[in-house]
Amino acid sequence: MEIKTVTVIGANGTMGCNIAGIFASFGKCKVYMVCRSMEKAQNAIPKSIKSIKAEAIGDRYIPATYDDLPTCIAESDLIFESVSENFETKKDIIERIRGYVQPHAILATGTSGLSINAMAELYPEELRPRFMGMHFFNPPYMMTLCEIINSTYTDKALSDELFDYAENVLHRAAVRVHDTAAFLGNRIGFQFINEAMQYAERYKDNGGVDYIDSIIGQFTGRNMAPIATGDFVGLDVHKAIVDNIYANTKDYAHDTFVLPGYVQKLIDEGKLGRKSKQGLYKTVVSESGKRIQYVYDIATGEYRERVKYRFPFVTRMIAHLHAGEYAEAFKSLENNHSVEAEICLSFLIKYVLYSITVARTSSDDIRFADDAMATGFGWVPPLAVIDALGGVEKFRELARDRLSSELRAQINLDETLKDLPLPSKYDYRSYFKGKQ
Amino acid sequence: MSKVYVMGGSQPDFERNWSREGKNVIAMLREVIADGCDNAHITYDDIIALNEKNRVACFVGSYLSELYNGQSHVGALLTEVNPAFYGVPAVRCEAAGASGAAALDAAVTKIAAGEADVAIVVGWALVNSVDAATGASYVSYASYMEKESIGVDAVMPHQFDQLVGEYLKRYDAPKDRVMKSLAHLAELGYENGKRNPKAQTRKLYMCEEQANMRGCATNPMIGEYLAQSDANMVTTDGAAIVVLCSEEYKNAHCADVAMPYVKGRGVRVAPMVLNEKLALAKDADCLLPWTKRAVDEAYAQAGLTVDDIDVFELHDYFTMSEYMLLSCIGLVEPGKEYELIESGKIEFGGEKPVNPTGGFIGGGNPQAAGSVRMFLDIARQTVGAGGKGQVEGAKNGLMVSFGGVATSNYVFIVGM
Repeated sequence: MEIKTVTVIGANGTMGCNIAGIFASFGKCKVYMVCRSMEKAQNAIPKSIKSIKAEAIGDRYIPATYDDLPTCIAESDLIFESVSENFETKKDIIERIRGYVQPHAILATGTSGLSINAMAELYPEELRPRFMGMHFFNPPYMMTLCEIINSTYTDKALSDELFDYAENVLHRAAVRVHDTAAFLGNRIGFQFINEAMQYAERYKDNGGVDYIDSIIGQFTGRNMAPIATGDFVGLDVHKAIVDNIYANTKDYAHDTFVLPGYVQKLIDEGKLGRKSKQGLYKTVVSESGKRIQYVYDIATGEYRERVKYRFPFVTRMIAHLHAGEYAEAFKSLENNHSVEAEICLSFLIKYVLYSITVARTSSDDIRFADDAMATGFGWVPPLAVIDALGGVEKFRELARDRLSSELRAQINLDETLKDLPLPSKYDYRSYFKGKQ
Repeated sequence: MSKVYVMGGSQPDFERNWSREGKNVIAMLREVIADGCDNAHITYDDIIALNEKNRVACFVGSYLSELYNGQSHVGALLTEVNPAFYGVPAVRCEAAGASGAAALDAAVTKIAAGEADVAIVVGWALVNSVDAATGASYVSYASYMEKESIGVDAVMPHQFDQLVGEYLKRYDAPKDRVMKSLAHLAELGYENGKRNPKAQTRKLYMCEEQANMRGCATNPMIGEYLAQSDANMVTTDGAAIVVLCSEEYKNAHCADVAMPYVKGRGVRVAPMVLNEKLALAKDADCLLPWTKRAVDEAYAQAGLTVDDIDVFELHDYFTMSEYMLLSCIGLVEPGKEYELIESGKIEFGGEKPVNPTGGFIGGGNPQAAGSVRMFLDIARQTVGAGGKGQVEGAKNGLMVSFGGVATSNYVFIVGM
């Protein structure tokens, strides 16, 4: 597959701009940066260069507007649409470009949740085989996951070529995913985050948001605690993703995608998270210049100072992880039967089971769930969690012991854990941090 | 003299930032020693048994751990990793950026002398405990600080830059071609690093054009000639381990296993002060005569020439250090290195591949771990275990590591 010229439509958005950088750098492509105005396109170019930290790629960009689309599209080997997540907006773009697409060109959308099939049907029949989803994660330069999603019309050989191009030319961790709601990485990741938000509500009298984040923090295999991650992503974005999954899927975890009321309330108040300087957390700088972290207290509906919880099992786990004693760290978790340790272990178990369940239905290979979580979220991959906890038999035993009977009744453990490609290709040790 | 065999070894992912992970040096050593011993098929029980007869020793390469980690006595620190090391002779070796090579040399000497059957060589660095600027200033300590640091913030970049100027003058070399060749070495480092699953830069982008755009905002100058892209990162945490054994041990315990052995080595220390080094070189046939001598002695000991070597790992602390070493190892006459680079001969897939792992620039350079990693990689190449970076049919590999500006020079030839 030879891709020399790429058109990125919506190149001034965060994702469009940064993905253009991936094509311009690793892909060595000439990139048309198409935006609604020339000013936006011109402003997007330095941002794109900066995202790759390489001025040498500067002469590979050409700013353009929607008026230039006929020329850009006619010249492009790959057209990457990255406009806002609105079906009508995307439809408008498809209508503008479909008359100019070269017979050999690939049509890709960067949607994170809209139906690839429905979008494919907006193209004339002869172009539908050339259309597919190409879902990058933010920031794409450091998060290398790229989900390739076929529609039912996609030419599979062409999709294989794009997969190979993403992997070997763009240096992405390419995974093949079916056209299901939120695809693979976000479905697994936002299930975890939303359930953590639900638990915060359930345990609001114990502390709520910071209480739950302290139980499943960095020492459980992530760079940031889950609710803080939702706050970082933006609560409005979080809501759009979980609402989409709730509306379009029906599995045993369905209820865990219901957005908690307190999160909706914050969204309604414009408190969207870090981007609006307040959400579930906010940082207040005191008169003396000290930065104090506040958290939204669900029970009172007010912000209060974040509590530094010190649960004995967490203290022990962190001490062991700090010194590289992984087996001892997981033993500390397993042998502690406090409410907090039980929540922590059950979240890890549920994460693994849901990841496998989704990977079995939404991708061709369970290992893609590992790739998705490692390279899209920076979380310990699910199969690596099984390795960390002592292998599949030990994991099965833990799942039987620690999950509620209601949940166990909905999950066929033996089927879920059957024929897993273990061990994971990812080393779990780097993911479990020796800190809160 | 016993032959010294390479049983195996390991390195962690050099992309990892152990401070950010909240892990200490013991965590790092526990991982790398467990992985390395596993790869070498040696257990802690084997170490205990060897120790009963005083036939095992450990050599730890470490540089500036007092500054980065507030920790000295790092040979003895292995006893914190596992009680199997109680009683095992363990010592720290230090030769600035070649500290790991110094540990390897001590280990090879110990086994060759018949004083041990197994030697465990570890190099490590945890540098993200301080910010990058502080770390860069620490590295200056490889020079003679009292004489060479006056009025200079970062001595190492300054001195390698000085070396470029001296080279251009001595050989009247075409500056544009030399600088472009240095930029090409940076590109090759990143390109080769993409094949190495443990390389620090495997997500990062670099091309010759970018590396040659010295002085732009994304590639600031670090001297008169060199820019950021000419240097390896100073933010690599990591460790590497190699397990060596005597011929007797191999014959007794793993006779059927194909293992590479150390065919030759050379160790030479040049004058510490760069200006003295350069003044002495005026009468020599190259700019780094002591480095070349170490290489020549390694070839002589191995009974091999450059023609017999299939793969090289060269110390690319800066692009200029790799550049200078190309003539020291005999791949080209001094002053014509740029022609060799332009020819493509040292690229992966070329006739004489250099740093197929990405070297320090692409792979990362956790200081004392760097040269242990180089040694491990040439050994792996000779048994076909180089992964995607495997040089087809490699039978002999050569590595050159040095501390300071080609001051403490270590050369090893490993092969089947």
